[in-house]
Amino acid sequence: MNNIILEKIALLFLRGIALMSVFLLLRGHNSPGGGFIGAIVLAIGFIFYGIIFGSDRIERILYFNTRIWMGIGLGFVLLAAVWPVFLGHAPLTGLWYTGNWPLLGEIHLGTPLIFDTGIFIGVAGLILSVIITIMEVLKWNT
Amino acid sequence: MILFALLLIPFTYLMLALLIKKAGIKKRLAILFSTLNLLWAMALVPIVQYREIIVVQMGGWSAPFGISLVADRFSVLMLLVTAFIFFLITVYATQSVDKARRKNGHFFFTFGILMGVNGSFMAGDLFNLYVWFEVMLMSSFILVSLGGERKQLEGSIKYLILNLISSLFFVAGIGLLYGKLGSLNLADLSQKMELARANLAVLNPALILIFVGFSIKGALFPFFFWLPASYHTPPPAVSALFAGLLTKVGIYSLIRFYTLFLYYDAGFWQQVVLWMGALSMVIGVIAASSQYDFRKILSFHIISQVGYVVIALGFFTEAALTAAIFFLVHNMLSKTNAFLVAGWVHREKGTLNLKVLGDMFKKSPVWGILFFISAFSLAGLPPLSGFFGKYLVLQSGIEAGYTGVAMLALFVGLFTLFSMVKIWLEVFWKKQPEDSAMEWPVNQKPAHWMLFSSLALGTAIVAMGLWAAPIAEYCQAAAQDLLNPSKYIEYVLGPS
Repeated sequence: MNNIILEKIALLFLRGIALMSVFLLLRGHNSPGGGFIGAIVLAIGFIFYGIIFGSDRIERILYFNTRIWMGIGLGFVLLAAVWPVFLGHAPLTGLWYTGNWPLLGEIHLGTPLIFDTGIFIGVAGLILSVIITIMEVLKWNT
Repeated sequence: MILFALLLIPFTYLMLALLIKKAGIKKRLAILFSTLNLLWAMALVPIVQYREIIVVQMGGWSAPFGISLVADRFSVLMLLVTAFIFFLITVYATQSVDKARRKNGHFFFTFGILMGVNGSFMAGDLFNLYVWFEVMLMSSFILVSLGGERKQLEGSIKYLILNLISSLFFVAGIGLLYGKLGSLNLADLSQKMELARANLAVLNPALILIFVGFSIKGALFPFFFWLPASYHTPPPAVSALFAGLLTKVGIYSLIRFYTLFLYYDAGFWQQVVLWMGALSMVIGVIAASSQYDFRKILSFHIISQVGYVVIALGFFTEAALTAAIFFLVHNMLSKTNAFLVAGWVHREKGTLNLKVLGDMFKKSPVWGILFFISAFSLAGLPPLSGFFGKYLVLQSGIEAGYTGVAMLALFVGLFTLFSMVKIWLEVFWKKQPEDSAMEWPVNQKPAHWMLFSSLALGTAIVAMGLWAAPIAEYCQAAAQDLLNPSKYIEYVLGPS
């Protein structure tokens, strides 16, 4: 499809949505949001992008196969589950780091964030792999 | 961590299988990880003998608030048998399952099942149990339909819908129970029910929904119809896995559920369980005797065999629970092995129709003997494991005063023998019918790993018969723990 306005808007939309999804991921622990929701929002951006540009372009942005992304997501989850064990806690225990950084002020970082990032990557990978497969079956590569 | 590793091992495999592309490496990793799982489950046995009940609180949150993983002797025995069967089926599948299926994630989804099964055996929380059921079911839905043959899709639709309904019942029951008691931790629920003993009728809607959910999963009498409609459609390695593990998880959950909750209201539930068990036993075996497909006969026998476990649960004495656990283990081993032999026959002849098969004993006496062992163990001939299983069930039934049901079990045993003799005669003994002899493809590919798996299972069945006494002793210790829920509560919630 050759419609320059539509193409520019889709690209802008994808960037905006991607930023939004990362925001949702980061605020997730104590406020509404989280990895799962973030991933779904991210997938919406990609679906819009795919409808206009075709699934080949999604795959080009993703760089890796969606399967690999799901694997990476599971890897993060695994890390968050096992890390506390090596420090003598029960598996999946939340470990927290609190620090005062210049410019950022006081921040809290913990293994739940790693876990959520894993969910984010894994779920986004899963949804995109479904979408890409459907698009390939329908031959949606304009 | 001791228990958590049993979830971690399949999970790590799932991760690696996504990251690695080469089918050959995935196959080797599958064997490696199933071996690891087996070793870990073996290591749990001495630990549970020493510590009696192993409890791990996830994330360090204490019991009624967080998620606990609990393994008593019964769970550990189930985990061990699961790991053993899973390892052998993985080895078997390397030669039995075709390359296209293996490339499309056969091992990936079997490990999904392993993770779900391991999780359900350790779940100390009702909702967690539901989640593990789902993990297991999602993987099994895909395994049933993987390959996309026409027959397979037909079977998978029935499998999918009935199991979704059972999940619906289960989760609806969980919701009601949570609304009434405000907790989902099994130990906490059991404690609360003991306090609310006078008003248990309030909980009946929830308990009945959950009970029906488990009965559908365990293929008990009025709810069994999905099982024979779907188990004969996927590749034999998959149906062996299902037959060995999936329905048994339903039965395990039922036993856990009964010993922790339902026995408070035994006057009502004991009758229900006895009737359902007895009817499953009879109807399963009669339906099986009318079938002419190798795997369909075995599928109907799953229902009948599950009935034995459930009537033993209904007797509800120490001896009866010992028998139930022993029988469950025997059944997992024998049934899986019977399916493995069916897989070999299918590979050699491309069909499992009894009418056109024949002469298989002449073709390979070893496989014939392996079928003989597992089939006659199912039928209950000494000195195989089935004999002791049935003996224990009957003895405990008569001791508990349910002579009628025990006699019924004996009678069902006769029919089981009839079905097994039928398969034996039709597939292995009779002369191959002349008219169908030419059409079959001759399979030249090696099957030594398939033979290895089946031999190992056959040895296990014989060994379980020969060393029945120490195994029954272990089962008795497990039964004592099951009959004493206050111990379970104390270990999970801490001394009060």
